[in-house]
Amino acid sequence: MKEKIYKKEIRITIIFTVLLLLTGHSASIFVLFPGLQQGTLWGFPIQYIIPILLGWFGIAAVCLAMTLVCNKFDDEMAEYVKTLAPETDTSTENTQK
Amino acid sequence: MPAEYALNNVWIGLGMVIILFAIFYAVGYFSSRKTASDEDFYAAGFSIGPVTNGLGMAATWASLATFLGVIALILRLQVPFVYLWIQWAISIPLLTLLYGTSLRRMKAFTPASFIRQRYGKPSTIVIVCWMILIMIMYALGQMVGLGQAFELLFGVPYNIAIIVAGLATVGFITIGGMYGATYNAAFQMVVMTIAMIVPMGAIMKAMGSSGWWFPPLAYGDMVPDMIKNIPTFFDMKYDFRWYFALIPAFTLGPVALPHLAMKVFTSSSVKSARWAVVWFALFLGLLFSGTYVVGFAGNYFTATTGRIIEKADQTILILNVFYNPTLVAAFVMGGAIAAGLSTIGGNLMAIAGLVGSDLLGIIAPNMESAKKMKWGYAALGLGGLAAVLMAFNPPRFLVTSILWAFGLLATTATPAILLGVWWKEANKLALIISSMVCGIIFIVISPHVLPSICVGSGLVAALGMSGGMVTIPLSFAMFIILSIAFNRMPALKAYAPTLADKKVIDRIHGWGPDYDESRYNGIKWPLIISAVCVAVFIWGLQPW
Repeated sequence: MKEKIYKKEIRITIIFTVLLLLTGHSASIFVLFPGLQQGTLWGFPIQYIIPILLGWFGIAAVCLAMTLVCNKFDDEMAEYVKTLAPETDTSTENTQK
Repeated sequence: MPAEYALNNVWIGLGMVIILFAIFYAVGYFSSRKTASDEDFYAAGFSIGPVTNGLGMAATWASLATFLGVIALILRLQVPFVYLWIQWAISIPLLTLLYGTSLRRMKAFTPASFIRQRYGKPSTIVIVCWMILIMIMYALGQMVGLGQAFELLFGVPYNIAIIVAGLATVGFITIGGMYGATYNAAFQMVVMTIAMIVPMGAIMKAMGSSGWWFPPLAYGDMVPDMIKNIPTFFDMKYDFRWYFALIPAFTLGPVALPHLAMKVFTSSSVKSARWAVVWFALFLGLLFSGTYVVGFAGNYFTATTGRIIEKADQTILILNVFYNPTLVAAFVMGGAIAAGLSTIGGNLMAIAGLVGSDLLGIIAPNMESAKKMKWGYAALGLGGLAAVLMAFNPPRFLVTSILWAFGLLATTATPAILLGVWWKEANKLALIISSMVCGIIFIVISPHVLPSICVGSGLVAALGMSGGMVTIPLSFAMFIILSIAFNRMPALKAYAPTLADKKVIDRIHGWGPDYDESRYNGIKWPLIISAVCVAVFIWGLQPW
C-alpha cells in the first residue's frame, strides 16, 4: 500500500507542476505554434486574452483541483500512518542539528 | 512631469495617506498584543485562515511595481511584458505544491529552517546570506518606489520623502510582527485592488469603451482602435527562447523567496495553506488583470491623444489625474503605497526570520525564545533602516535589479530547497559548491558588475533572463552530479546525508514513523533531469 501512496504522491506532484507551468506560460504555446495566433475572443486577439484568462481563472482552477486532490491524498496518507505502530525513535529532537 | 499631471491638492493626498497609515498602525498595535512567542512573531502562531492568508499572499507578491514599473514596461515593451507578468501568479501555487506544505508540517519559520535541518549549519549560512542579500535588494527597490510615490503626492524633495515613508513603514511593521504584517497585507490587498480597478472604470468610460463596467476584461471594443494606432501592440515580438527563459529566471526564483514561503507557513494547517492558494490565485488574477488594462490604457492614451508620458512609471497617476477627480487620484496613489508597504512588510519579516531564527539558531542555539524574538525585532528594524539609508543614494544596479535578483535566488537557493525536499541523495558539500560557484557565475555574466563579460545582451541580460538560463540549469545539474559522486567517495563521507537527514524528508512528506530508505532516493530521474539541464545550459550559452 505504501508503494501505491508513494507513486500517487509523485504522480500528483508532477501533474500539477506541469498544469501550473502550462497555465502560467501559455503564451509560449502561441509562440511555438504561430498557427494558433488566429481569431478573437471578446474582441481581443486570441493569443492575448487566452494567456490572461489562463493566468487568472486557469491557475485558480488548477489550484482548486490541486487543493481537493492533495487534501484527499493527505487523508489517505494519514489513514495509512494510523495503521502503523507508534513512533519510537524518530522524534523531531532526534533529527535536530 | 508636466504640471497638468500633478496632484492639484496636496492636502487631499496627505489626508489619504494619514488615514491609511492610521489604519496600518492600529492593525499593527492590536496585532502586537497577540504576539507572545517567536511562533507568534514569525508565523502568526500558525493560525491564519485561508481567505486572510490568500489576501496576504497576493498583497505580499503584488509589490509597488504592480502600480508603477509593470505598467511602465507594458508601455514600452507592450504585450510581451504582459506575458512575463502573468507567470508570476504560479509562484506561490508551485511553492506550496513543491515544498510549502511539506515545510509547514515541520512548523518552519523560513525555508532556511528546513535547510538547517536537512543540510546542517555551513550550508545554511551560505543560503541565508544569499537570501538576506536578495531580501535587502528587494526591500530597497520598494523603499525607493515609496519615496517616489510620497514625492509625487506631496511635492516634497525625495530625501525627505524617503525618511518619512521609510520610518513610518518600518514602525508599523516592527510593532505588529507577523500578525500585523498578515492582517495589514490582507487589508492592503483590498485597498490596492479597489484603487487599481474602480477608477479604471471611469477612465475607460471617458475613453469610450462600452466595457467600463468590468475594466480587467471588458476592453475588447478598444482593440480595433489600438491596432489602428499601434499595429504592433499585440505582437509576440520575441522568439521562443525568450519565453522559455522566463521559467528558469522568473518562475523558479520566486519559488524560493522566503517572504512568500512564510505566508504558507502562517497557515492554520497544511490543508488551509492549499485553500489559501486558491484565494490567492483569484485575488492576484483580478489585480494583475487590472494592471494589464492600465498598461493597455496608457498605450491607448498616448496613441489617441498624442500626449507623451515622459515618466512611464507614473502612468496610472497620470491617467487618473487626467480623467478622474483629485480625490480618486489620491486614493490610487494610496493603493500604490499600500502595495509597496505590503511587500516591504513581507521582506522585513523574512529578514527578521532569517537573522532572528535561522542565523541565531546556529550562532546561539540555546538562546531563549523571548530573547531570539527581541533579536528578530532588532533585525527587522535594522533591515528597514538599511533599506532607508541605501535609498538616499540608491545604487542604480540595486534598484534596477529586483528581477535580476530572482535569477540569483533561483541559481543559489531553489535547487537546495527542491532537491532537499524531494531527493535523499542531495549532498551538503555539493550544495555549497553549486550554490557558491553558480551564484558567482550568475553575477559575473550579467551586465551589472562586469559589463565586458556577459551572456546575452540588452533587456534579457539586464533582467537576468539570459544569465539565469545558463546558471540555473547548471546549478541543478552540478548539484545532482556532485551529490551522486560525493556520496560515493569515502573521503567525503562526512558530507553525505545521514540517516537523520533522510528521516527529515520522509517525515515532512507526512509518512510519520514509517521510514523507507528507497523512497525519494533514486538516481535515474535526477540524472535525466541533469541531462535536460545541461541541454538548456548549452542552449542558453548560444548568442542571443
